[in-house]
Amino acid sequence: MQLSRRLLTLAGLCLAASGLSPVKAQEAGITANSIKIGMFAPLSGANFAYGFDVANAAKMYFDKINKDGGIHGRKIEVVLEDDRCNANDLVAAVKKLVEQDQVFLLHGGSCSAAVVAAKEYVVRQKVPLVMLNASGDGALYPPTDYIFGAFSISQYAVGGAMVDFAAKNLGAKKIAYVNHDDAYGAWNLEASKFDAEALKVDLAVESVSPTITDVTAPFLKLRAANADALVIVTYARPAALLIKKAAEMGFNKPIILSVTGTANLAQLAQNVGGPDALKNFYIQEVLSDLPGGPKIKWVYDMYKAAYPELSAKAEHPQTYMPYGIPSAMSIVKALQAAGPNVTREKFLEEMKKLNFDSGVMAGPVVFSATERAANKATVFIKYDGTNQTMVPGVFTSRWKYKG
Amino acid sequence: MRIFGLLLAAIVLIALPFFTTGYVIYLANILLTFTVLCLGLHIVIGEAGQFSLAHAAFYGIGIYVTGIAGTKYGLPFPVTMLIGGVAAAAVGFVIGVIALRMRDIYLALATFAFGEAMQWLFQNWDAVTGGPNGLRIAPAHLFGHEFVTDKDAYPVVVLFALLMIGLTILISRARLGRALRAVRESEVAAQAMGIPVQRAKLLAFGLSAFFAGIAGGMFTLFSTFIHPESLGFSTTMLALTMVVVGGLGSIGGAVGGAIVFGLISELLRQAPSFQEIAYGLILIIFMMYAPKGLFAFLADKFGRARHG
Repeated sequence: MQLSRRLLTLAGLCLAASGLSPVKAQEAGITANSIKIGMFAPLSGANFAYGFDVANAAKMYFDKINKDGGIHGRKIEVVLEDDRCNANDLVAAVKKLVEQDQVFLLHGGSCSAAVVAAKEYVVRQKVPLVMLNASGDGALYPPTDYIFGAFSISQYAVGGAMVDFAAKNLGAKKIAYVNHDDAYGAWNLEASKFDAEALKVDLAVESVSPTITDVTAPFLKLRAANADALVIVTYARPAALLIKKAAEMGFNKPIILSVTGTANLAQLAQNVGGPDALKNFYIQEVLSDLPGGPKIKWVYDMYKAAYPELSAKAEHPQTYMPYGIPSAMSIVKALQAAGPNVTREKFLEEMKKLNFDSGVMAGPVVFSATERAANKATVFIKYDGTNQTMVPGVFTSRWKYKG
Repeated sequence: MRIFGLLLAAIVLIALPFFTTGYVIYLANILLTFTVLCLGLHIVIGEAGQFSLAHAAFYGIGIYVTGIAGTKYGLPFPVTMLIGGVAAAAVGFVIGVIALRMRDIYLALATFAFGEAMQWLFQNWDAVTGGPNGLRIAPAHLFGHEFVTDKDAYPVVVLFALLMIGLTILISRARLGRALRAVRESEVAAQAMGIPVQRAKLLAFGLSAFFAGIAGGMFTLFSTFIHPESLGFSTTMLALTMVVVGGLGSIGGAVGGAIVFGLISELLRQAPSFQEIAYGLILIIFMMYAPKGLFAFLADKFGRARHG
């Protein structure tokens, strides 16, 4: 009787101890053989060119890692969702991936304004979010423990670097500057103003809607400013309209277009009315080499092997395809460093330590305890409608986040 | 049949949080919010026959006013929602005053212009709306309890959706509803019957905007971020499509249209390669075979089947 009472007491103590001790449940999305990654990108709609092949590039890199044996014996499983570059759809995709598909981490976002909408949720759920190719500065500043981005480039760096290039390489003292009237435009303008002040350059700014259909009024205002160069930091549609208008009105000063407007260069050359409009034209680029150039040929070869049907089509790979590689590389490196008993906390700690050259982008991926924007370096290319010639040098902005 | 449908809906609404993930609850919250948005559009277009293309603007006013009242002034959510609804209604009355002088395509264009102007304001009034960076909204709270997750917000969203559906039914069955329908059919005849046409139109615009404002407030219960991009013409068109697909002029059509079309939109997100074509095809099929709306079509079919 006494023995059974003691046994009962012992059993009770064990039960109580098991209830009180912090027994850690298995990490979501991690099994003995797999790591589940939730990827999201615009796979349809008007912004399809900004994410479809970028997601394909990240997937093919994960496939390569899986073929090479995976990460600590685990294969990467990708669950892909369409975010339509729209805040509500992106949040729905993120919630589905986290709560229904139970992914270990999120890897996605190709449109800055949309991806920022997921910030609060991701931080609250303590799920790592590694952006695909969105700048997403609004989710990176102020930094959080969970969100990493700007693998293509931070928009702050884009704006500042373009002013730097126009002033230093083209000798501009006054710059006509066109940006979007959205978050993305506000970020690049902030750094542009900072660099313009440092370089003692005047900026004449016109902010336009990304869906603008007639640029006559903003262009006439900029022409009246009598600037030495025209800097365009917009998506492809406003950019094409502005370049065409500049040619029609005999504007012969240098025009510099940000990488966001170069989704399809051949199409751009057609849309602006041919090579005559591109006589004095530069594009800002974030890759380490010209598309298909020797430094990044392996990315294009890998794409061809992974997606033979897609690469047979003229419009593939899309211009931004290689941008999917650095973020995928970062995830793989952090997972490897986190060891076989990976947790979200360990993964996040390793992400913060990353400092490596992907070989794909103009600058290295550098994070730190307080830095969440991966890349701040950019190059410039002279483009005449057919040929691309790299301008020597790497450019960046002087702008720094001050908290 | 109707009782069976209502019972089924009640069971689904009650059981949902116990058997589904937060993602499904998020979808339910969004669909119920759009239901209230569509009910507002139903009042002004379906009941009163006034063409309004500014619904996203009133929805935006509701979101921003409710969000700011909670975030900056720390007011509890029923109060913030009421303020948001009243603010939207006040602007709606102003638009109603303008609407008294216009009709048909001119009214549609004027309200469209107002909607675009409001989106510009949301986008550029940085100090208040956060401008293009968007606005972070603090979680709604009541008696010290914060509504942080979708599941927290769900019972309140359901309650408000039911309240607004009830209010719509009340309006529809009251003298006001009959007056609005009379105005829709013929303003001259309505006036001859002694209906104050101008007051009816003003009320339709004000009530419609109030509903949109409340829908905006419901959005802030489960979402902590708003970006002006979400408050453009496409949102108005989405709500209009939902009302038309469901059945213009019927409360069941507005509710059903919001839920069915919202679900179709989300399901098509899972099929990116052909979603645009599928979306267009569904719309064409609805317009060809169910021009009075999905629910009128179903009622017609079931009615015929029942009566041989």
